[in-house]
Formats: sequence, C-alpha cells, structure tokens
Amino acid sequence: MSGIHVEGLGKRFGDRTAVEGLSFHVRPGEVFGLLGPNGAGKTTTVRMLTGLLSPSEGEATVWGHRVDRDGEALRKVVGLLTEQPGLYDRLTARENLRFFMKLHELDEAKAWPRAQDYLRRFGLGGRDAEPVGGFSKGMRQKLAIVRTLVHDPQVIFLDEPTSGLDPESARTVRDAVAELASEGRTIVLCSHNLSEVERLCERVGVVKRRLLAIGPVRELRRAGQALDVRVDGEAERFLNVLASLPFAPNVLAEGARLRVMLADEAHAPDVLACLVGAGARVHSAVPAQRPLEEVYLDLLQEGRG
Amino acid sequence: MAFRPRRAMAVFWKDFLDLRKNLGLLVSMAVLPTVMVLVPIGVVWSYVRTPNHADLRSVAMFYDPNLPLGASAARFLIDKTLTDWFGMFLVMPVFVPILIASQSVAGEKERRTLEPLLASPVTAAELVTGKSLAALVPAVVITWAAFICFCVGVDIVAWPLVQMPLMPNALWTFGVFVIAPLFAFFGNGVAVLISARVSEARMAQQLSALVVLPLVGMVGGQVAGFLKAGLAYYALQGAVVLVLDAILLWASIRLLDRERLVSRWG
Repeated sequence: MSGIHVEGLGKRFGDRTAVEGLSFHVRPGEVFGLLGPNGAGKTTTVRMLTGLLSPSEGEATVWGHRVDRDGEALRKVVGLLTEQPGLYDRLTARENLRFFMKLHELDEAKAWPRAQDYLRRFGLGGRDAEPVGGFSKGMRQKLAIVRTLVHDPQVIFLDEPTSGLDPESARTVRDAVAELASEGRTIVLCSHNLSEVERLCERVGVVKRRLLAIGPVRELRRAGQALDVRVDGEAERFLNVLASLPFAPNVLAEGARLRVMLADEAHAPDVLACLVGAGARVHSAVPAQRPLEEVYLDLLQEGRG
Repeated sequence: MAFRPRRAMAVFWKDFLDLRKNLGLLVSMAVLPTVMVLVPIGVVWSYVRTPNHADLRSVAMFYDPNLPLGASAARFLIDKTLTDWFGMFLVMPVFVPILIASQSVAGEKERRTLEPLLASPVTAAELVTGKSLAALVPAVVITWAAFICFCVGVDIVAWPLVQMPLMPNALWTFGVFVIAPLFAFFGNGVAVLISARVSEARMAQQLSALVVLPLVGMVGGQVAGFLKAGLAYYALQGAVVLVLDAILLWASIRLLDRERLVSRWG
C-alpha cells in the first residue's frame, strides 16, 4: 500500500494532547500541504509518520509500513527535511552526505553521483570539499535537502524547505519538488509560506491539534461562498443596499468590483437581483477564489471558537 | 531490530572525523595525559637526584615502619610512587571518553543534528556502539601511548639509581591493558547516560567529570597510608567497574530511545 494512510492518529505527551483524530490519505505522486500555526501539531504529526514518535492512538502506514511497528523499514523509504538543517559544521558537505549514505547502507559508488547531481542542481557543485560551517544559511538549507534525498526516498517530508533561500534557489527547490512528485514520490510539505503551498500542493490539510479542513486548494479557496461581481462605474455606491441583506454579512468594494461574502451560495441570485434592482449594470458574477491565506486564517479562527 | 555493524561503524566514522577536526577538544584531551606522564617522572627524578637525603627515609618509614635499615628509601619511594600513581593514571581513561562522549551525544542536541540522525534507520544499539567506540578508541590509544611515554621516561630518570628498567611491570601492564579499557568504558557510559539527560555538552562534561572524584579520593587514601594498593586491589576495582559497565550499557541503550530523545530534545 503506497502513499500515506492515516486513521484517527493522535499523540499525547502526559496530560497534553498534541494532535488527535487525524485522518487523511496522500497518494503516490501527490504533493500534500500540511498547514497550521506554530504548535498546531504539524511537527508531531510528521514525527509520527517518520517513526520518530509512536502514536498514542490511531494508526498510519507510510509506503506500506506501519509507523508504530516498522520503524527501521519505514525510515529507509522516508526522507525528512527538518526545520533546522542539522548539519555537522566541522565536516565537509561531502562528508555530511557520506555519513547518511553509510547510515542507509548505500553503495557510495552509485549514491555519490546522484548526490553530486543534486549538489550541482542546487548550486553547490564544486563546494562539496568545503566545511559546512562556512556555508551560508541558504547553502546549508540546500545541502540539507540533498541529504534528505540522498537515499532516494519514496516519501518525503519537507518542513519549510525554502526557508532562508533566495528567490532563485527557492524556485529551484520548488521545481525539484514538482519533479520528485512527477516521479511518483509522495511529498508532504509543511510550510507557513501559503503562496508556495498554493503553487506546489494539490491538496492541503489545515491542522490545529485536529484536522480543521482538508481538500484541494481550489476547493478550499472557494469555500466560504464569496461572490465576485463586476458592475458599471464605482462599486462603492452599492455598499449600502447590499449591507441591508441579512445573508451577505460582509461586502467589499474596489473600483468596479464587489466581493460579497455569502452565508450560503444559494443566495447569489438574490444578491444579483438586489444589485439590478438598485440600478446596477452587472457585467459578470463569479464564485470568488479567496486567497488561501484568508481561508486559512478563517479556519484557524473557527478552530479557536 | 537487527544490529547492523555497518551503521554502527558509520556513526563511529563520523564522530571520529568530527573529533579529528575539533582542535579545542584535541588540546583538552592532550593536557591530562601530559600531566599524568610528567608528574610521576618528576617525582621519581626528585628521589633519584638526592637518594640519600635523610628526609626520604622519614617519609619511607611513614609508609613502612619495618623498612630494613640497609634498604634504599629512594628506591622504596619510587616503587611506592609507581604503584600508587596507577590509581591516578586511571583517571585518564575515565576522563578522556567523558570529554569526547559528552560532545558527541549532547553535542548532537546542541547542533540540532539529532532529529535528522534519528530519522535514519540507525538503531539505539548501533548509535550507542558507534558513539562509544568513537570515545573509547581514542581514550584507550591515548592511555597506551601515555603509558609508553611514562615507561620510557621513568626508566630513563630512574636508571642512574636502579641500573635496570623498572617499567613496564606486571601491575602496570595488567592495569593498562585490562583495567584501563574497563575504566574507559565506564567513563564513556556515564557521559552517554548524562548526555542523554541534559541539553548541553558542557553540562554533560561537568556532571560526568564528577565520577573521577572517588578515584582521586582512593589515591588520596593510598597516599595517606589508609589504603594499600597492589595488583589485587586494582583487580578488585576492575571487577566492580566491569559490573558497572554492564549496567551503564543497558541504561544507555534504553535512554537513547528515539521517542524519549525526540520528545525531550527534538
């Protein structure tokens, strides 16, 4: 059973519940975003799925390995990029990578050329003999990514992969992630960079101790039933008439555009009728794609409530 | 979970490489053997320089009131120094692994390298083995090298008085090749255990170093004349440490458990 399958996963540390009741599936070749504020349980979830922590409840399999009992086999197919690069400063880049090749019992003659390919791709070609202590933050991050990939893992967990990288390097990483997914690998991306998540992930899960929402990014952005309406002239003059509608709790106007938040999308025709009744010439009305950030913050707000 | 020697050797290889590049730690490691070798050579030299000094006989009589009148007090004190100093020499194989192991275990936490390491297939037993070897091998090699320097130095300075090589003798040979590795294992075990519980390498070193105090205390007892050291005395120490080593090994593997380390320090 490839990919990731999580059913009712939870973790308690003493009296404190870090995560509870998580259930989701990630397909092979899918890039799945795990979103949530600091302390929401993302790292704990990743640690359970990489065999570093054992679940207090529920079960999960990663690439066919049960996380609670197949730790060693699991860690062979999983690559983990931690929030901190965690490199050995006195060792060279090559020595850092060789160490992990040895831990994974790889044939270095085969693994090193692959690592060199990644090093070159991330702009570290020719720097492998230098001690890592002299590397910049971005170079360290890129080397940590290469280390994550050195054993050719089937499932890759990336915690803030573009943190500390310049835009060009960040793009290289994003391209690499997309390519890895296209090779059929399962990728879980934990990030606070929502635009990155939007660009890379097909589906996201928003976690705050429990799973607040899960689904394709496009669907989540449509959630909340907003309607974008374009009218003739300044849209602002219709704010008052729309404010009187009980099912449109929030209306924004910008130039000729109105964004109407709806309690229920079934009220969209009523909004349009109201506008036409007030003399508006409506050019277009489409379900709004809310920014992921807005959706995310709303979900967290609801989660708090 | 199978024990894979290759992975344990990978941990050893990395830690040994890291140690070779850690100049500060290498200097710290060199200081103690230097003192351990030079001090007794200096003491022996002082006895050889004035072998007929009246005070030497008084000191010798303190340790052995039945010392024959014709016996050389200087020679007696040289033998006594060599026997007692072995107790002090054992501080070295305990202390050197403490310096290394504290860095290698607590250092992983400080550098935030622990989580990527634990996310690899390496098991707790392989980790303990690799890290222990990386601390034990240099400690034992340093102890043996210091022993060779000590033997050469003592024989050179004592030659004018005794006209024969005093070292290596049976006690030291047995002690350095059998008891010293057991003590090194003990120092390493204590450091690994404490490093798994504290967050900083320095704190681990400071706490672990306290284990040398009983050793120093026993040497103090020998110098004060309360304890009479000899082959049987040191063999008994070795046997006690062997039991402690087994307990420490068991506890280290338990404490280097992923769940415990990650939930506490990751």
